[in-house]
Amino acid sequence: MLEVQDVVTSYGMIQALKGVSLAARTGEVTCILGPNGAGKTTLLYTIAGILRPRSGSVRFEGRELAGVPADQVVRRGISLVPENRLVFAHMTVRENLLAGAYARLGRDGGGVKVDLEAMLERFPILRQRAGQAAGTLSGGEQQMLAVARALMARPRLLMMDEPSLGLAPMIVEQIFEIVAALNREGITVLLVEQNARLALSIAHHAYLLEQGRIAFRGTPSEVSANEAISRAYLGIKRG
Amino acid sequence: MVDFLQALVDGVMLGATYSLLGLGFTLIFGVLRRLNLAFGPTILVGIYAGSHLSLAWPGALVPVVAVTVAGALLAGVYVERFSFRALARQAPVVSMISTFAVWMQLQELVSLLSPSRTMPYPSPVWLPAVAVGPILLRSDGLLMWSGATLIMLALFALLYRTRFGTTIRAVADSSEAATLMGVNVAMVGAAAFLVASAVGGLAGVLIAQSHQQVTPYFGLWATVKGMTAMLLGGAGSLPGAVVGGLALGVVETQTLWHFGGQWRDLVSYALLFLVVALSPRTRWGSGL
Amino acid sequence: MSDYFVSLLIRIGIEAFVALSAYLLLLMGRMSFGQQGFFVIGAYAAGLATALYGMPLLPGVALGALVAALGGALFAGPMAAPRGLAFAAGSLAFGELVRVALLDLYFQGQVGPDLIGPAGPDGFRGIRALFTSGVSVTTYAVGIWLALGVTLLATAFFLRSRWGEALRMIGEDEEAAATVGLPVRRVKVSALAGAGGLAGLGGGLFAHYATYVEPGHADVMLGVHSLAYAFIGGLGTPLGPIIGVALDIGFLESFRFLAGYRMIIFGGLVMGLLIVRPRGLLDEVAVHRLSRFLMRGRR
Repeated sequence: MLEVQDVVTSYGMIQALKGVSLAARTGEVTCILGPNGAGKTTLLYTIAGILRPRSGSVRFEGRELAGVPADQVVRRGISLVPENRLVFAHMTVRENLLAGAYARLGRDGGGVKVDLEAMLERFPILRQRAGQAAGTLSGGEQQMLAVARALMARPRLLMMDEPSLGLAPMIVEQIFEIVAALNREGITVLLVEQNARLALSIAHHAYLLEQGRIAFRGTPSEVSANEAISRAYLGIKRG
Repeated sequence: MVDFLQALVDGVMLGATYSLLGLGFTLIFGVLRRLNLAFGPTILVGIYAGSHLSLAWPGALVPVVAVTVAGALLAGVYVERFSFRALARQAPVVSMISTFAVWMQLQELVSLLSPSRTMPYPSPVWLPAVAVGPILLRSDGLLMWSGATLIMLALFALLYRTRFGTTIRAVADSSEAATLMGVNVAMVGAAAFLVASAVGGLAGVLIAQSHQQVTPYFGLWATVKGMTAMLLGGAGSLPGAVVGGLALGVVETQTLWHFGGQWRDLVSYALLFLVVALSPRTRWGSGL
Repeated sequence: MSDYFVSLLIRIGIEAFVALSAYLLLLMGRMSFGQQGFFVIGAYAAGLATALYGMPLLPGVALGALVAALGGALFAGPMAAPRGLAFAAGSLAFGELVRVALLDLYFQGQVGPDLIGPAGPDGFRGIRALFTSGVSVTTYAVGIWLALGVTLLATAFFLRSRWGEALRMIGEDEEAAATVGLPVRRVKVSALAGAGGLAGLGGGLFAHYATYVEPGHADVMLGVHSLAYAFIGGLGTPLGPIIGVALDIGFLESFRFLAGYRMIIFGGLVMGLLIVRPRGLLDEVAVHRLSRFLMRGRR
């Protein structure tokens, strides 16, 4: 579904991605592990079109994405739930959800209404808070809102950047259950996560990104079997 | 007591136009995260254009209003194009410096193109003043207040009741997230800029009909009033800008009544200074 | 030297002091729209000293600068903490406050047959110490440039000292500067006082050259120009602001047929340069520093 080939992305003089290749297969959860500063967020931002790769290609459903501006990438079927969630703090929960469907609003008004209702159904807490400013929500609620908002664009590929960041363990498990459920419903997921143990529990494939390069790829059981990796990333219990 | 009430009413009527200026400032600052110091001068261009038309074609009120707004819009497009869009990749400071430069240009331009520094602006003087008990509502004041209120209602309806408005507020809230939702942030920014310029032009009409004249100093005056209204309201909040403008208007007219005209500007500048001094860590808004 | 050339030199020299004061604050991450306020404070104070109280020229101008520096130190009371947009707005309000206050300042005294002193909107006329002292205009111009040269050297030296280092660190990251034990507040107050003094020195020199000063001389455009000068020349060196002044006044005014359009051309020049070569005007470090300040001020 998504194929990233030899992508190089830099910030000014600093190369953050030094030729990364990976694939996310339809219907699977692919997770990207790696230490802070390895380039995980940069990779997601490059796919989302916010950063432009210096070289390499990003193909989604057979079409080239590299160089397509961010607001168009959404229309191709990719949504990103950004790190720290970035909800529209001064807008209501309902407005946030509608903003999520921005790319569809003109063409598919009826569908948006149906989806809005479906989101409020799936996330009852959001229905309770529908008229409230998103900034007043708790961290976990904001994360759910961010996921729901991304879903409002009806993505075929959902990318998530550190969804567990700063959340209590119980909430984190809840979020991961939601991700697994979404995946079972057919949404392909590309997940960046520090909490390797949890990420691997729902992933079909995993990549290890270190210093802008893919250092390892395999199934979750292969990752766990690799002693060095499991010591570095699974040894420390997080969350 | 009557003096106090009269000054209060006058202040609200005057302050409504300050609110408009504050709203224009806030829209641009909120969405683009950049300060447009040339906001006042763009309105200045509109008013001078209107003034020229009124000299050539006396009595043509509607065309004068239209030309004033069009002039402000045109100048706004110029500022947006060269100080904002062309500098979108640069730090916000660069845009701000650039708006000084445009300010100089616009101010000099209107001076060069005008036969005198002070230019007349038409006012519907035939409208009667209204007396409510001991309070006198002057026609120009009533016009300022009712016009500004209508424009504000329309603007708030646009921003809070339409998809376009929601998009503007989303960008102001987090342009990064808005991009991820598929919003073309640059286009929304330009659109918000134009809305602000139009609001500025309309505010210019209301103010100029009350002053019945305009000088090149109006650009600075409007920038300071708008910025003060925005800052008094917490910098970045649209309802805040409305309240800030009204507060500024009331403080000015109260000072005028109780201490005399020469204190009026002094107090309004002192107010701006005090706001900064008393809240040095003011949160400069992150959303409208 | 022709009179015109001498007057040009004097104007450049005087404006250079104001530009230098804006530059100093820019290094500290503060964008001031109010240096014109200190300019007129210095002008009025120096004028009062010589015209009303009979002080000789040099001590009078020095006293004017001192009063403006004191004003800067007082200004620092409320304005040391604000940064970014808040400081810009506060300094603008201050500059305008000074201008409006001077419109109401009447303080005249009998000197010989004349009534001398600030007279509200009519300004302060009859500051004749330069001409009664017998110093020629050319000598005055040379004196101004000598003073400017000394100031530049002193500034350059100062910027290389620990104080200059502290100033830049505050411009870079005020919290970090505080955590390494810098006397942040003292440095800020000193810089604001110093900048006030520089602008005031320009004001005193101006008042004696023009023989009068009025509230209109505190036009915000002077402050805005000074900031622009500092940016045009670049923030890397104290020479930057002087280059900016020379470019505007010297270059554009020397084409007399352009003089009427000076603001339009100068404005266009700044605008165009910012688009074409933003890094040529504003070195990257400074832009970064200032933008970070604006960002932080907003949070």
